[in-house]
Amino acid sequence: MVRQGWLPVILAMVLAAAVLLGNQSLQLGLDLRGGHQLSARVLSPDPQVVLTATDLDGVKNVIQRRIDGLGLAQTRIQTVGSDRVVVQLPTVQPAPGEDAEAEATADDTLQQVANQITEKAVLQFGVLRSSEVDRYAALVQERRNAQVAVFLGEQQLEQLQRSRGDGEQRRAVKEELEASRTTFDQLEQDVGRLFDLRPLTGDDLVQVVAEPNLESQGEYYQLSLTFSAAGGQAFADLTKEVAADSNLRLAILLDGRSISEATVGPEFRENGITGGGARITGTFTLEQARELEVQLRGGSLPYETEIVEQRSVGATLGSDNVRRSLSAALVGLALVSGLMVWIYRLPGLVAVAALAIYALFNLAVYALVPVVLTLPGIAGLILSFGMAVDANVLIFERIREELRSGRKLYQAVETGFSRAFSSILDGSVTTLISCLALGYLGSGLVRGFAITLGIGVSLSLFTSLVCSRTLLKTSLFLYPALRRMKYFQPVQ
Amino acid sequence: MTSSEIVPTPPESPSVPASEAAGPPGTFTGFQASRYRRLLLLLSTVMVVVSLLGFLVNGMDPQIRAPLRAGLDFRGGTSIQLELACHDPGPCTTSQRLRLPLVRSVLADVQLEPAGDQQPAPALSSFNVQLLDNGEGVLLRSTALTIAQAQAIEEQLATAESLAPFQRERTQVDTIGPSLGVQLLQSALRALGVAFLGVALYIAFRFSPLNAALALGALVHDVVIVAGLFAWLGQVWDVQVGSLFAVALLTLAGYSVNDTVVVFDRIRETDRLHPRLGVIARIDRSIAASLVRSLNTSVTTELPILALAFFSGGELRWFAVALAFGIGVGTYSSLFVAPLLLGLLKKDTA
Repeated sequence: MVRQGWLPVILAMVLAAAVLLGNQSLQLGLDLRGGHQLSARVLSPDPQVVLTATDLDGVKNVIQRRIDGLGLAQTRIQTVGSDRVVVQLPTVQPAPGEDAEAEATADDTLQQVANQITEKAVLQFGVLRSSEVDRYAALVQERRNAQVAVFLGEQQLEQLQRSRGDGEQRRAVKEELEASRTTFDQLEQDVGRLFDLRPLTGDDLVQVVAEPNLESQGEYYQLSLTFSAAGGQAFADLTKEVAADSNLRLAILLDGRSISEATVGPEFRENGITGGGARITGTFTLEQARELEVQLRGGSLPYETEIVEQRSVGATLGSDNVRRSLSAALVGLALVSGLMVWIYRLPGLVAVAALAIYALFNLAVYALVPVVLTLPGIAGLILSFGMAVDANVLIFERIREELRSGRKLYQAVETGFSRAFSSILDGSVTTLISCLALGYLGSGLVRGFAITLGIGVSLSLFTSLVCSRTLLKTSLFLYPALRRMKYFQPVQ
Repeated sequence: MTSSEIVPTPPESPSVPASEAAGPPGTFTGFQASRYRRLLLLLSTVMVVVSLLGFLVNGMDPQIRAPLRAGLDFRGGTSIQLELACHDPGPCTTSQRLRLPLVRSVLADVQLEPAGDQQPAPALSSFNVQLLDNGEGVLLRSTALTIAQAQAIEEQLATAESLAPFQRERTQVDTIGPSLGVQLLQSALRALGVAFLGVALYIAFRFSPLNAALALGALVHDVVIVAGLFAWLGQVWDVQVGSLFAVALLTLAGYSVNDTVVVFDRIRETDRLHPRLGVIARIDRSIAASLVRSLNTSVTTELPILALAFFSGGELRWFAVALAFGIGVGTYSSLFVAPLLLGLLKKDTA
């Protein structure tokens, strides 16, 4: 009766699993709780050069800082594979009564986060080349015209949309607006190219604040920058250089586009502008200024990124998925249990207890590792209920064969377990081999599925061999009344 | 307990295991699979041929280089799924239900901004529009859209006055870039290849190379037939295959090998216990002894899958269908295809 030593171990494990599940909640995937997921691919500047894990972490950290800057709760950011960063934004349940508004903000948030992931936000400072002074004046004029065209186009479109005007006209206006925007963007880049860069960048900033621009009576916003000590010195040198000639300009460039150009008064010819601060004025709206503030604070992205995947699941859809998969799991468990008891009688009942322990252990391991539960993951778990009792089916069929050949009950049980062992082991090892391969080499769904299946197969080895054996033998030992053939034979 | 040792007992011993106690070789009265060998192997051949025909009819999908309809995951693109507010708890009235022409006319009004200088917005006429649940939901599929484009479409449908109100909380939007799709497929295939190799090596080590080849043969048989079913489903109902389908095939591969190994294990044991019986007779006995176990296991596995199919919708339901069908085929092939072929090939070499 050495094997009865397992009983306290099993009971202790069940207790531990139950306590663990009571204290630690399971992590639900996006498809179960609703929300948005964005995957970005980080592009290496040179296709020959493969990004290292450190490079990828660098990108992740910048994105992390920026998204923290947006103040979004519960955002999860991780690197996946060799070149991807995945950002998950779970749905924050809106308070009742403000559903529509909350939904609208959520949509804006998604776009904001996408911008934070893809905008490099490289801030640079430059001085106008003296040979380009005339060309600069011409481009500025062109740029002003383009800006006016964009502004008028926006207004016109807004009016048409408000009056729900005719579609054909709206389309025309929209196309024209698009063209003006492209021209404007091109001109900003052209202007940027007239400047020589100086050794002062966004990395030299210690503080960035978006605030209303008082000169515009609060209509526009500005960014005030505070430099580090070295940055302050570089800025002083820069302004001194520009102050020397009233035709020269100091430009602040963002991703190669000039966003602000300024003259420096002759009073700074001696020392430049000292004090380690500057401000970027322009026609920023509050949102634009805030966005730029977050980008500059988070730092510039070291590599180009592109969004390769976006998934959004409505919150109700998520909870609906939870409800459905729970129903499927419970009904599946009930069906398997009913069938096992019907076919195998007392051993079947023991297998059901082992299956319940299996389900409990599985969830406990999910909470412990932790495994993020997704819809396909739950499907895998439900599927594994059927597979987990397979070992018991093998064993009980063997026990019946032994009984038919006239063995004593207790001996038949022992022999059944030991003879079925080699099939169970071979079957489980082959499945585990595939799980290992899929877990290491697969990605996304495939990987998640391999992990849940692998955990399931390993646990079922324990529950179907050790647990059901111990439970069956213990019950036979404690209750001699159970040692009757009719509890082991099918209903006649 | 001496009987708990895993030592093969010689046939003369009084403690012969139950299944082998059925009497002398000639009087075995169980199910003799070899009698139906032609019929069983013919059935397999027919199923494989019908599947191959399905592949032919479907033609090659250039994107996944397979004769199946590639879903969003592998092809890249955007799918937007919306549900009417009246769907929960439902049912909607006839006037509330969506109609295809109406949805299309609402969509025709959307203005999509181009994604960038080189990428014009996809034409709305190229969208695949499909009604769900008797017109209580709608599924749009297109080439990959930007976030702004997808939101513009969602907004347009949600605010259209000619359509019944949608429940925004039940919207699902998925966009997969085309490059990512190819990557997903490649990683799944590579993983599958390595998994097969590992399993084959293990079986060759535990049994013999012939067993390994046959177990893999049975596995390919199962995978071809399930994929064939989906090739036909793709033709008839435009069912597409995505990551979930790949997962279903992987699961089936595992199940099929597992099931085959159990039967092989039984054959090996019978070989040891009855070395004097002919190869065919030994295999017949082993199949008969495994029959009840295999059927019971496949039923206990099918039941939860059917529950899953019943409670889930969309892609997950097709996942359950693939599994349910595949487990049936897998049980059949590991009971009849692999062992019967083993009998044929072993006899030839003996």
